[in-house]
Amino acid sequence: MPSKRQLAVAGGYVVAAAVYIAVGVWDTDFLFSFFVGLAYLLVVAWLVPAAVRRIF
Amino acid sequence: MPLLIGSYAPDLMSKWFVYGIHIGGWDLKASDPVQFHRGWPGVGFTHSLLYGAVLALLIWRILGSKTWAVSFLIGQWAHAITDTGDTVGTMLFFPWTIHIHFGAWAYAGQTGRMTDAAAYFSGPGAVWDLVWIVYGLFCWRVLTRSYFETHVYTADAFWGRANRLVPMAALLVAYRAAFFYGTSRWIAWSLWAHVVHHYPYDISWGGPHWVSAAHSPSLTWPQLAGVGAIVGTGVAIFFVSRLEFGRRSWAAIRSRT
Repeated sequence: MPSKRQLAVAGGYVVAAAVYIAVGVWDTDFLFSFFVGLAYLLVVAWLVPAAVRRIF
Repeated sequence: MPLLIGSYAPDLMSKWFVYGIHIGGWDLKASDPVQFHRGWPGVGFTHSLLYGAVLALLIWRILGSKTWAVSFLIGQWAHAITDTGDTVGTMLFFPWTIHIHFGAWAYAGQTGRMTDAAAYFSGPGAVWDLVWIVYGLFCWRVLTRSYFETHVYTADAFWGRANRLVPMAALLVAYRAAFFYGTSRWIAWSLWAHVVHHYPYDISWGGPHWVSAAHSPSLTWPQLAGVGAIVGTGVAIFFVSRLEFGRRSWAAIRSRT
């Protein structure tokens, strides 16, 4: 079974996926390119958390 | 990473021309999208086993990485073989130009990308994708940091080189992106097709039947025999080479002891 930390990380990705899906359903151009998905994920799962950690 | 690139390789340069794009006052689109995408003349050879093998050999020769070459080959072959599942299929054994096709789901690329997406995510193709998503979730350990650091990072020098430019946390996110993208787009397209636009599901063989699908002609008996001979020869070569390799390995072990 996954640890609590692994579940927390997975939860973060689920939230990121929910936003990605909502934007994608609204504007399907968002869904066509893997590289758009990669860029989005890098922003929300790495850049933003890294920036928040640096600020606080 | 090379497996991902390989899996995109067949459609990388051609899909935009199949669906068509509008630039300024220009509409660029193949006059016969099916022929262009999967046929010959056309770029259908990109969905063949030979194309993957040639590119893999080039990658091996230029980059000197067997891991990259084999991984790319697996990705490209996976795409080419998977596309035999639709009603047009692929010229898997190019330069033999017959289309291997199982007709499980409708090929609708010629209808434009929105109808194509709606059809794909309404038929057996969507079910096939779902199988792999569920399989991926069962194998969740491959997405963990420890698996990435222990098995993936160490197996491919690309990650080490990339790590000189970006931190490990970013590489881990990039590694997870393929599964994230595949799963998220499956959900998003399904919602778009069935909640927003109410396209009907039809997961019967060859479906959905509400879309005007393109079809390849059925194979004749001599063609089927030819395909059987090629596949049989390939399987025989594989097992004989493994047996021979096994014998040599045992001989090498015996000579050492």
